[in-house]
Amino acid sequence: MPILNNLMQQLVNGLALGSIYALIALGYTMVYGIIGMINFAYGEIFMFGAYAGLVLALTNYVNVYVALLGATFITMVLGVVIERVAYRPLRRSSRLSALISAIGVSFFLSSLMVRVKGPNTRGFPTLFENRIFEIGDFQITIYQIVIIGVAGLLMLSLHLFVTYSKMGRAMRACAQDQDAASLMGVNIDRVISVTFAIGSGLAGAAGVLAGIYFNAVQPYMGLLAGLKAFAAAVLGGIGSIPGAMIGGLVIGLTEILGVTVNLSEYKDAFAFAILILVLLFKPSGIMGRKANKKV
Amino acid sequence: MFHKKRKSLVVMSVIMSALIMVSGCGASKPAATTPAADSKEPIKIGFLGAKTGDVAMYGLNTLKGLNMAVEELNKEGVLGRQVELVEEDNAGQKDQAINITNKLISQDKVAAIVGDPTTGITRVAGQIANSKKTVILSAGSTGMDVVEIGPYVFRDTLLDTIAAPATMKYVIQEKGWKNVALITSKNNDYSVSLSKIFSDAIDANGGKVVIEEFIQDKDTDFSGQITKIKSANPDVIVFSGYYTEGALIMKKAREVGIKAIMVGGDGLQGDDLMKIGGAAVEGSISYAGFSPEQPTPNTEKFINAYKAKYNNELPDLFAAQGYDALMLIAKAIKDANSADSEIFKDSLAKTKNYDGVSGSITFQENREPVKSPVYLLEVKDGKFALLKKVPVEIK
Repeated sequence: MPILNNLMQQLVNGLALGSIYALIALGYTMVYGIIGMINFAYGEIFMFGAYAGLVLALTNYVNVYVALLGATFITMVLGVVIERVAYRPLRRSSRLSALISAIGVSFFLSSLMVRVKGPNTRGFPTLFENRIFEIGDFQITIYQIVIIGVAGLLMLSLHLFVTYSKMGRAMRACAQDQDAASLMGVNIDRVISVTFAIGSGLAGAAGVLAGIYFNAVQPYMGLLAGLKAFAAAVLGGIGSIPGAMIGGLVIGLTEILGVTVNLSEYKDAFAFAILILVLLFKPSGIMGRKANKKV
Repeated sequence: MFHKKRKSLVVMSVIMSALIMVSGCGASKPAATTPAADSKEPIKIGFLGAKTGDVAMYGLNTLKGLNMAVEELNKEGVLGRQVELVEEDNAGQKDQAINITNKLISQDKVAAIVGDPTTGITRVAGQIANSKKTVILSAGSTGMDVVEIGPYVFRDTLLDTIAAPATMKYVIQEKGWKNVALITSKNNDYSVSLSKIFSDAIDANGGKVVIEEFIQDKDTDFSGQITKIKSANPDVIVFSGYYTEGALIMKKAREVGIKAIMVGGDGLQGDDLMKIGGAAVEGSISYAGFSPEQPTPNTEKFINAYKAKYNNELPDLFAAQGYDALMLIAKAIKDANSADSEIFKDSLAKTKNYDGVSGSITFQENREPVKSPVYLLEVKDGKFALLKKVPVEIK
């Protein structure tokens, strides 16, 4: 029974961690779905979101929701600006150019943050008091509830937005065939900007949540988180929104599972081992569709 | 030491052979000749350390302690001669340290070198000084493979092998915290070797490691490890890594309702521990080689003189150890009646229960220092405060 309880406890830890990965993974998957490009700067946008949340929280005038919304807004703008400056001029050139540009942006953002805020890990201020809820032996902290809750809410809204709104329909149209969508009167540039804004906003929100949950913010936090989120997106099937959510949760859970079975030094390797395994048997990822060749 | 690092990589070996050639060139210079003891020239002492760069704080404070020692020694002189300090700045860089060590020995013909405060540079400089038969006394290095270099290499620091067992004795026997959760940072050499010392000391004092967990430096998510630690219900958490991870671990531990406090080495002593950890690290215990609180008469005299000289600033570990380093050398020179390293190194090695300002100092047969007491520090109201001075028995 204690073992079972322990496992439940670890499941919640994994769920909280996985929610953060899932939010970043959504950005990767949405952009890939629409312009077929991997935006490697998402990890750094996540980091920027965490710092934006930190700066807002340190002003002492805002509560957790304002910090979350503020950071989301700031990273949305950042995402749109990055797309304008670094990716749009390269849209018609080879995919490799855009990829290299993305790596450049990623280095630029983390170096910029080292310059502005210093390389040290910064603590995150307490935005709300911790509470522990106990159900028998099982317990869950308010932080975990908030992380899982907010992440779930954001993912649900994204799903509704993409499925039912006009812009969502335009996005799906662009994902299928940009030229055809353009001929039907869809403003491609606008759709891409909105995609970047939403993806970046989610990463920014994830940054604040990570800051609250880990109590720590540092300029290079985006590197590994971004890499794992990318793995999550590929694992779930890149281009698929539900796939990114599932991928993120799987990566988070495997990581915690690695710690649970006393292999914590391999916890990062676990995530990628799972990725390789899934891709061996299902190259398109868990939720990915087989790529249809356009004739 | 370069021979030890044999690597199969071609690039590596090219770099290595280049380095060997450089140090080989240095060695071909004429060997140091120390001035005869009866001359009235000053006794020169070389300072090796950083005055600029990342580790400048260590060097600058060592220097402050050294300057105080020089002032005091020159009131009466050593063997009728004055003591003169030759300062150089190695900026914490190994290549510069090599040049400086060569210069101090060959050109300035120093009687001894005090420095470097860090282990890495002491290892490099120790090789040179030992081969040129000049005493080098590091006031700061704590890592392995330092005094093993040879009979001219010394240090006057509190070693983890002395301090960690003393700390565990206090925690287990005095506090009665027998069930220990031991956390190691796997990609941190310091943490891995310190955990080994802690773990042996826990066994030796009748404690028990009820759970052993591993993290890595720069990790931020510790929820998995903390959940397991909570279910093991330890009396105390021993963490052998650095302050950043220490603070994050404790924050997570308090979040899930673990009440045990954290105990660790001097790696926990950074102001970021409190900045990041806040209330979660209150009560955390770590050890140090010096504290200006509760001084002995000798230490109090030093503190007062230091404050008078340096604008009311309190001396830190490096200032106290730097002061002790030069005083130890001066005493050895007096005892041997010679400022020749080849002669006074033996009287230095015989130092027993020397009443230094950073504690009593004894060199064991292998020249490793045993220092007493160990200063246990506790985080109190967001600051490191002296908790207890634990005496160390010399075997």
